[in-house]
Amino acid sequence: MIKVQGLTKLYGTRTALHNVSFEVPRGEIFGFVGPNGAGKTTTMRILAALLDPTEGQAFIDGVDVTREQGVVHERLGYMPDFFGVYDQLTVTEYLDFYAACYRQPRSRRKKVIADLLQLVGLQDRREQPVDSLSRGLKQRLCLARALVHDPAVLLLDEPASGLDPRARVEMREILRELRGMGKTILISSHILPELTELCTMIGIIDHGEMRATGRVHDVIQRLTSGRRLQIAVLGMREEAIALLEQMPAVKKAALVDGSIDAQYEGDEATAADILQRLIGAGIKVSSFRTFEGGLEDAFLKATSEEVG
Amino acid sequence: MNRARQLLWNPIVSKEYRSRMRTWRSPLAMTLYILLLGGLGWAVFSSLASAAQSGFSGQAANYGQQLFLWLTLFQALLLTFIVPALTAGAISGERERQTIDLLFVTQIPPFSIIWGKLLASMSFVIILLLLSVPIFSLVFLFGGIEIDQVLTAFLVCATTALTLGVLGILFSTAARRTLPSTVAAYVGAFLLVAGSMLWGQLFPTTIDPASTKAPAPPAVSYLSPILPLITIANQPVSSYGIRNGNVPMNSGGFSSGSAQVICKAGPAGNSCVTVSGPNVVSGAGVVSPPATVSTIPSGPFAGWQFWQATVVLQLVVVVIALIVSGLLLPPVRRLPWRKRAAPAAA
Repeated sequence: MIKVQGLTKLYGTRTALHNVSFEVPRGEIFGFVGPNGAGKTTTMRILAALLDPTEGQAFIDGVDVTREQGVVHERLGYMPDFFGVYDQLTVTEYLDFYAACYRQPRSRRKKVIADLLQLVGLQDRREQPVDSLSRGLKQRLCLARALVHDPAVLLLDEPASGLDPRARVEMREILRELRGMGKTILISSHILPELTELCTMIGIIDHGEMRATGRVHDVIQRLTSGRRLQIAVLGMREEAIALLEQMPAVKKAALVDGSIDAQYEGDEATAADILQRLIGAGIKVSSFRTFEGGLEDAFLKATSEEVG
Repeated sequence: MNRARQLLWNPIVSKEYRSRMRTWRSPLAMTLYILLLGGLGWAVFSSLASAAQSGFSGQAANYGQQLFLWLTLFQALLLTFIVPALTAGAISGERERQTIDLLFVTQIPPFSIIWGKLLASMSFVIILLLLSVPIFSLVFLFGGIEIDQVLTAFLVCATTALTLGVLGILFSTAARRTLPSTVAAYVGAFLLVAGSMLWGQLFPTTIDPASTKAPAPPAVSYLSPILPLITIANQPVSSYGIRNGNVPMNSGGFSSGSAQVICKAGPAGNSCVTVSGPNVVSGAGVVSPPATVSTIPSGPFAGWQFWQATVVLQLVVVVIALIVSGLLLPPVRRLPWRKRAAPAAA
């Protein structure tokens, strides 16, 4: 649905994007993560046909964004990382204006606007002036605006930035609902936890280069070095660490905050073996927990490599 | 038909109407406009009346012409101040509000954005012109001015407003911020209205003794609405823009030092008479009579009415400015001479 091939963008001598490629199949939510200035917004602006790439191609629903902007705009809902609201207009008039800009027939607009306001939970504020809305409500209104022409693809640039936790949760619920409606969503953020729960796919970008892309689970597994164990023992900590270090599956073991933190390669059975050997050696294990490294780890690892 | 409707009535126009009319600025601007124009009319009338009492006045018809001249020139001046303010923020304001990208991703073509903004601001100018009709109708109490003169003067004012409006939009498209765009729009307005007149003063036409035609000011001067408004009101434009350089005085070339074009209303429109002007001696020594013309006597616009030259020249400026704005506005320019190579199939 979204396809980016070897995208490069130069601003003078500065490289904003370097050979960025990724693909988002229909109905997926793609989280586009990277620190500020990594090239997320540049990629999104190219996808929205607001910027020409220096090299490379981008396709929305099979349509080249540099050649058929009209068709791209018809199939794309774009929500930039700012509100862009007009004063002197009410919520309904604001949405009606954009619906008219998207050439929606007058007869359809009223119903579409009512449905969208219902979706984003602004149905009680339809006559309120746009500039009097709170930040969270403006953000929801902007999401509704990006949906007035029922696009198949949504590009959301930092939709949760500056929102309080409650508003963020509400935004997440709305996006989930949109995914249920079959929309393909590309959502960028520098805040990671909100993406791990929401996205089905992820792309990590840093210094204009794509560090990793794929299913969330795969990316995490690829980037974090195996799985981790958190073991609490009663006494005999040194012995336990020494024993762990002898095992070939364990790559690293160290004492962190009073419990042993060990990295290992393998699956659940490997973890069971490790536990069995610890107990067999007479070590009293009071707690034993396996967990995967989070997106945060993957992200830090992906972006920590220095760019040449 | 549908396409024409779409062109004339795009969503930008109705949105602009709504936002413009909901602020306090619009009614304030209209009130000020009426008060200033009415105040000037009243002041001119009072001074004419007091001159009449002291016995130095002409006929009543001249009151009408005087009043009309002052009103129409002042109307042009007011529009020169108002119109750049209406359009200089049209596009740069959208950039500052960060709404321009949101418009670009809709299905409105960039030129329709420009067109919508222009149409909305010009509608406001038309409201202002309509508001001034009752004040102008006072002129008819005195006579000396025909309805066609009023209509022509309104046409000149409207075209000037359109030109200033399009220039404002051009600067607004080129500049990223509204402040430089506003400054540029006012400089542009000054150059159009006063600068082109000043050009005539600085670089006047030099009378050619060998010419058989009466001299005319340089063509650039017709860009300004001042000359046509003066001639429409039956007033002389005097020897504006003409210099008697190299012409020997009283030596058979010219009977007097200055050429004066005086225009008067007649049943068949305006007629301009060049008095004490070039009684040109032709090669055979035959003295031609003073040129009695209702038109520009010579130059590239020879045979045209002053207002016709102004309207045409200004419309040329409008078309050029619109084309340049249309090329500057789109975020991704698709210039015909810079076509992208066809990419491989997706």
